[in-house]
Amino acid sequence: MFPIIAVDISGRHRIGQGYYMVCAAVAVDVSASHIESVSQIAIKPFLTASPPGVADVVSIIETTVAEIKYPGTIIVEHGDLYNQPEWLSQKMFSREFKYQESLSERLAIEFAHHVSLSSRNLLMKELAID
Amino acid sequence: MRKAIVVQRNDPNADEAENERKLAELKELAHASDYTVVGSMVQSRYPDRKYQVGRGKVEELAELVEALEAEKVIFNNQLSTTQIYNISETCKCEVMDRFQLILEIFAARATTRRAKLQVELAKLQYELPKAKSIVSLLKKEERPGFMGLGGYEDSYEQDIKKRIVRIRTELMHSCKGSESLRTFRHERGFSLVALAGYTNAGKSTLFQLLVKEGTIVEDMLFTTLSPTTRSLTINQRKVLLTDTVGFIEDLPHWMVDAFRSTLDEIFLADMILLVVDMSDPVDVIRQKLAVSHDIFWKRTGGATIVTALNKTDLLPDEQLQEKLDAISYLAPNPVMISAVSGQGIDELKQLLYKKLPKWEHSHISIPMSEEGMSMVSWLYDEGIVHSIEYGDSIIMEIEARNEIIQKVKQFEISSE
Repeated sequence: MFPIIAVDISGRHRIGQGYYMVCAAVAVDVSASHIESVSQIAIKPFLTASPPGVADVVSIIETTVAEIKYPGTIIVEHGDLYNQPEWLSQKMFSREFKYQESLSERLAIEFAHHVSLSSRNLLMKELAID
Repeated sequence: MRKAIVVQRNDPNADEAENERKLAELKELAHASDYTVVGSMVQSRYPDRKYQVGRGKVEELAELVEALEAEKVIFNNQLSTTQIYNISETCKCEVMDRFQLILEIFAARATTRRAKLQVELAKLQYELPKAKSIVSLLKKEERPGFMGLGGYEDSYEQDIKKRIVRIRTELMHSCKGSESLRTFRHERGFSLVALAGYTNAGKSTLFQLLVKEGTIVEDMLFTTLSPTTRSLTINQRKVLLTDTVGFIEDLPHWMVDAFRSTLDEIFLADMILLVVDMSDPVDVIRQKLAVSHDIFWKRTGGATIVTALNKTDLLPDEQLQEKLDAISYLAPNPVMISAVSGQGIDELKQLLYKKLPKWEHSHISIPMSEEGMSMVSWLYDEGIVHSIEYGDSIIMEIEARNEIIQKVKQFEISSE
């Protein structure tokens, strides 16, 4: 069993005057191919006027993960950090970080993606933003 | 088995271990295509325009071909049409490069119509840039003129382009037809296990070992099996074990679809036996496992993965443990084995048995009649009979897949 925190950000495209983003961090225990248990989920909204750069994405992820009370390596998709090399991304984070590799890590990121997307849809609907 | 000689040109300053791995992979691929590698030749230099390796080396190669009576020379480097022509003229035998060899393997392994189309498409895409020079070389003796060479060259290239368009259209409208084969095999009571992993991981050796050790059931079904599928029984459960081409490194993009189409057997399996070469460096193992996971993602339909950590006989125990600790997060259900020495094979078979799709147990009472006796015989064929008692009726304890249990539900003895 390996503790990981899978993270996904939804809404990195322009809507009207800004970027309405929701970041979801999911703390799970995984084996090599399955999610064995879910410990905690943290969701945070972010609004920026300009498109998020790599440093902004790192800050968004770290702020959301700070809500998680459980230990674990942060797992992110390559694309979320604009496909920059892993060694470079690792240097930008204050805690353990890596890109997804195993089936279970992909599954956890998919889980985080559904959480962030559905939370964002709900927020946009409540705020009446199209 | 046809005799072949493998040749590899290494760039100067290239990593020696990497070169050896590449040559070992080529030998494995040649073996997968039914060649016996009778000799190998390596040269370290920058590529020669006419021959890929140096002229002197090609003459040496020609002597080797004659001495070993080889029918084919296989280069690990990509060859131009001119290079293939020049080398085959000197060596007086057929010459091919790594990509042609891979295409040959894919063509032999493609079972479904879709896979065959994918392989043909890859062949045509490989041939397209060479089309003009192939015609030029074939028609060397002919003079250009009215309806001369230019016409030939263009028409052959146009022909290939038209065939590519036709196949692409057909592929868009065709669907996978292997599902019915899977259902058929399940109906026969077989569970499907597919071997997966990179070339040279030891898949074929493990395949031979498992098949040799398992009890082969009746040959009746072999008409429906490819040469790389064998049936065996593990603790009375019938299993179809399929050996696959294996994952290949550094595939060009135009070959990827053809490669994936040969993996249908893996995606249709109930269980995937992922074979890993533990003698590789840790980073290489991790990289290969990550790619394997990427290939399996969203395609295996929930099949269980068992990881056979092979070639453990080549490493001391403490080094093995270190490697296992480093890769365990990528190795589902790991078992340490050696397909050469047979170490760990029993443990692997027990794990395979444990992970097979669940069969149900049932106690039944069948009337003693002609019909009842034929049902007993049918149950022996379709499941495992743990006990049988003949009296006024026939009392049996059976284990079988759900469909069979449902059919004899009416004869079940309640456990109350």
